[in-house]
Amino acid sequence: MVGLGRSRAVAFVAPALVLIGVFLVFPAFWTLYIGVTNYRLTGAAAKAPEVVGLDNYRGVLSDPAFYRSLWLTLIYVLVSAAVGQNVLGFGLAWALRGARRAIRRLIESLVLLAWVLPSSVVAFLWIAMLDRDAGTVNMLLGQSPGTAWLVQYPMTALVVFNIWRGTAFSMMLYSAALSSVPPSHLETARVVGSSTMQTLRDVVLPHIRRHALTNTLLITLWTFNDFTPFLLTAGGPDHRSEVAPVYIYNTAIVGGDMGYSGAVSLVVLLINLLLALVYLRAARAGRSS
Amino acid sequence: MSRKRPFDRDASSLGAAGGRAKSWKRPLDRDASSLGAAGGRVMSRRVNAFWGLVAWLVGIAFFLPVAWMVLTSFHSEADAGTNPPKFGASLTLDGYREFFGASTGASPWPPLINSATASIVSTLLVLLLAIPAAYALAIKPVRKWTDVLFFFLSTKMLPAVAGLLPVYLIAQKIGLLDNIWLMVILYTSMNLPIAVWMMHSFLAEVPVAILEAAAIDGARLPTIMRKVIVPVAAPGIAATALICFIFSWNEMLFARVLTGVVAGTAPVFLTSFVTSQGLFLAKVCAAATAISLPVLAAGFAAQDKLVQGLSLGAVK
Repeated sequence: MVGLGRSRAVAFVAPALVLIGVFLVFPAFWTLYIGVTNYRLTGAAAKAPEVVGLDNYRGVLSDPAFYRSLWLTLIYVLVSAAVGQNVLGFGLAWALRGARRAIRRLIESLVLLAWVLPSSVVAFLWIAMLDRDAGTVNMLLGQSPGTAWLVQYPMTALVVFNIWRGTAFSMMLYSAALSSVPPSHLETARVVGSSTMQTLRDVVLPHIRRHALTNTLLITLWTFNDFTPFLLTAGGPDHRSEVAPVYIYNTAIVGGDMGYSGAVSLVVLLINLLLALVYLRAARAGRSS
Repeated sequence: MSRKRPFDRDASSLGAAGGRAKSWKRPLDRDASSLGAAGGRVMSRRVNAFWGLVAWLVGIAFFLPVAWMVLTSFHSEADAGTNPPKFGASLTLDGYREFFGASTGASPWPPLINSATASIVSTLLVLLLAIPAAYALAIKPVRKWTDVLFFFLSTKMLPAVAGLLPVYLIAQKIGLLDNIWLMVILYTSMNLPIAVWMMHSFLAEVPVAILEAAAIDGARLPTIMRKVIVPVAAPGIAATALICFIFSWNEMLFARVLTGVVAGTAPVFLTSFVTSQGLFLAKVCAAATAISLPVLAAGFAAQDKLVQGLSLGAVK
């Protein structure tokens, strides 16, 4: 009675599917095509692009800049998201698990600010605060002229930045997850005198394993596709912080080489799909269990 | 949240009303907790207080850059630029007056209106499309339709930057570059997958029994949707809307490439504002603060449902 008939269900879902198909899936496939052409943003090749076969892919796969970009992306994702946000987020949730609700909410709000702000705002904030001459950080450190953080340590700055930016989500997710751990189990662990580490490993982790998995994969994907590093360092200096999305942007929009960039896009897309598959498998396993 | 039983009161604020968080707080557990040795309790209370303090410090450290921005926005340019910074300087609204073009006459309203148009219209469209889709997928779905649901999810995992080139070329071809309605359509489709998932997660909480009761009473589908589902799922719908609004307002990559003078959104405007006015710290901070206000409000309003929504139902 309540369920829709098949035809009505199709009618309900179809508009959304069509829009997604046209504006998300179709462009992705077009990227595949652009990758086999010599399309350029301007000039003759912009008017009449030619199919150049797998040249772009050969170029990409033999380009040290591409591998450097992948390597930087890996570091960025692993250190700032998979480890940084995860650990700090869990730590905060754990530290606040016994706090009063109002206090927990207040601290969550403070951390959430960074997560909610537009990337152009946070980028401006960090550039201003890390500025060599007038930056607040250097002033507080009493350095003048100070360290040009974004130039001298671009990747470190990006990693710290992304931990600051994204920890809120992990914190809130783990905070919800920890509430699914029965207090009596924690109490028992304390009565029998197990250390915090033992409690975490034997009591807490089994309960939040699925949450941890979801969280890690979500923040991994978000960080992987995050464009904000461009606003902070634009991939520089000398490509030292050119993570994958920035690399694609720089080759396509700044460098104008759409074909080449399309090929890179496809490789990045495949890596993402691989991550997504891992996630979907894990999510399904969690659902059926 | 109103369905919580008394014992659940100190459970998570993030919607512990869901499934398995419920079963554990039985009276027996409370007895168990009172058995804890008194000495151990004092000890652990101290440890807890210590970690609580650390959490406070981390929270404040996270907040500092934002506090700096807001504070500086209320300082005069002279105070904002000093070394060391004058945190206690007197406050003024000059930064905001300047941002709204008091002396230059350059108005920030067009980009703000662009952003509002793109975010609000796309959010409304997303709701219009996502609610029926999520309904069809959540309430007594045809079995195979989980695949459809996962298809929605998988499209969200396409890297946005990979779709940028084709969208740019299409927009160029049909003359929609630098047109805010292109952004409306793009933001709608970008947020749809996640909105369908979020709505699905919230609608799945509507008890089927209520729906069946309504159906037996002779209510037809539109009535059921309007009178039963929307009221029950209203907090979820609101949270979905707020999150979509935040994502569209903050979107930078597409806006940066696809818009220009006419359709530039507020975040894009801010980047060029920083470039041209970077020396006037108070003014730029005022601009950044003003542009952040809508999403800050939306973020706090959605805070309680944020994780449940974005974790795609994995966290209740």
